[in-house]
Amino acid sequence: MTNDSSSSSASVLGIVGKALLIVGIPAVTVWGFMVPPAEGFMQPDLARMLFFHLPCALGSSIFLMLAPYFALRNLRSKDHADGVAWDIRTVAATEIALVTGILTLVTGSLFSKVQWGEWWNWDPRQTSFLLVMLIVAAYFALRGALPDAERKAHNSGAYLLAAVLPIMFLIFVYPRLPQVATLHPNLLQKGGGLDANYRNVFLSTFVLVTGVTAWIYQLRVRAGLYELELELQNAELADRDRPAATGMVRPVSLPSDGG
Amino acid sequence: MNSSWLAEVFAVLRKEAVAEMRSRTAIFTAGLFSIMTVVAMSIATYNEKLSPSGYAGVFWVALLFSALIALPRTFTIEEEQGTSDLLRLTARPHAVFWGKAIYNLIQVWLAALALSVLFCAFAHLSISIPWLFAVAMIGSGAALAGAVTLCGALVAQAANRGALAATLALPLLVPLIWLGVAALRVAIGPMGPEFTSGGIQASIGLVCYGIAALAIGPYLFAAVWKNS
Repeated sequence: MTNDSSSSSASVLGIVGKALLIVGIPAVTVWGFMVPPAEGFMQPDLARMLFFHLPCALGSSIFLMLAPYFALRNLRSKDHADGVAWDIRTVAATEIALVTGILTLVTGSLFSKVQWGEWWNWDPRQTSFLLVMLIVAAYFALRGALPDAERKAHNSGAYLLAAVLPIMFLIFVYPRLPQVATLHPNLLQKGGGLDANYRNVFLSTFVLVTGVTAWIYQLRVRAGLYELELELQNAELADRDRPAATGMVRPVSLPSDGG
Repeated sequence: MNSSWLAEVFAVLRKEAVAEMRSRTAIFTAGLFSIMTVVAMSIATYNEKLSPSGYAGVFWVALLFSALIALPRTFTIEEEQGTSDLLRLTARPHAVFWGKAIYNLIQVWLAALALSVLFCAFAHLSISIPWLFAVAMIGSGAALAGAVTLCGALVAQAANRGALAATLALPLLVPLIWLGVAALRVAIGPMGPEFTSGGIQASIGLVCYGIAALAIGPYLFAAVWKNS
């Protein structure tokens, strides 16, 4: 009874959340075009790219924090099915971090061309984010190279955990070191350069991007779990058709009415 | 499994040293690579003296690649020779990791020493602050040994493991290049005393990274090794 009520309230919340996203995305897009062009930019109209660029970077960072936690849960899991479910969550979170990270790099590169005159000018923040994406790409390279599913899950999970320290350093420490001169403004510090109009639109797009990526993550995990269930059922069916080894008695399922 | 943990670590370390003495593959490969780096750098910068930053960059990248060539071999060779199961039976995972990591640490320090001698003798490198140079080498060695040993273990059963180990280890080690070059630049100098504190900070960063890599490595390795 409790489970039924909690699942129905969760589904109502899900429907409300999706409805808000469907209404919110076009509304915030229009709102973004209504704020005045930013002064001090080479092309003030294009400063609106910030509304997409920065939420993608933050979204990627959030999923990069979640993925090692899921990997840790997988490594600590004693139950096989539970471990596989955590691995599916790890892969889903890392995939979303990679996609949003690539979007950050692409929009950042466009911004760089407009503002600084180069598609890529090796700005410390730009470079450190590229390195983070290379770590994520190496994670998928490792998964692709290992044949066994369990080994794939454990080894790639261990790699992701080993990468936590470099990822933290690259995202949070390196671009803020006093010896490193970055062209990126530090928007998180007090008086970081965003006026009220831009800050409100940015916060709204951040909420929307987080909502969309969380939705995609949920769908990806669900698809992964269904895929796993299907694989298990196929294996069971294949096993049923195979003749039993000599001296082995197979369990036989009887009709429930007792014949 | 009655032997003590320390005895197991030394047994693994001794096994690695004896195996290396028999084949001498890693020593020759890393040694040859160091010589070739110095020769290539001397040809590329013929008749020109590099700046301290230039020397620091080339030196650290040479050390990084010589580590990437030699270190992952300690695990991949176990799979190639089919001795990994025997190792699983005779030693605990932490002892295996520490034995191989200590062996790799000695290897990196020897490579760093060889590179330093070659750079000083043939590439006109002069070191202004030797103790800072030594601390930077100790920290760099620990960080390289910890990260590359773990990556070697992770790819041991994978296809194309040699290239994959470098692919995995490089992004983890690239942050170290910044710290390594910052420390070596000051150590090579001569730079003003106002730069010394920056060099010391970078050296401390390298040592801390090395300690963290060696501390976390055995736990991650144990989780992977028992399931292999």
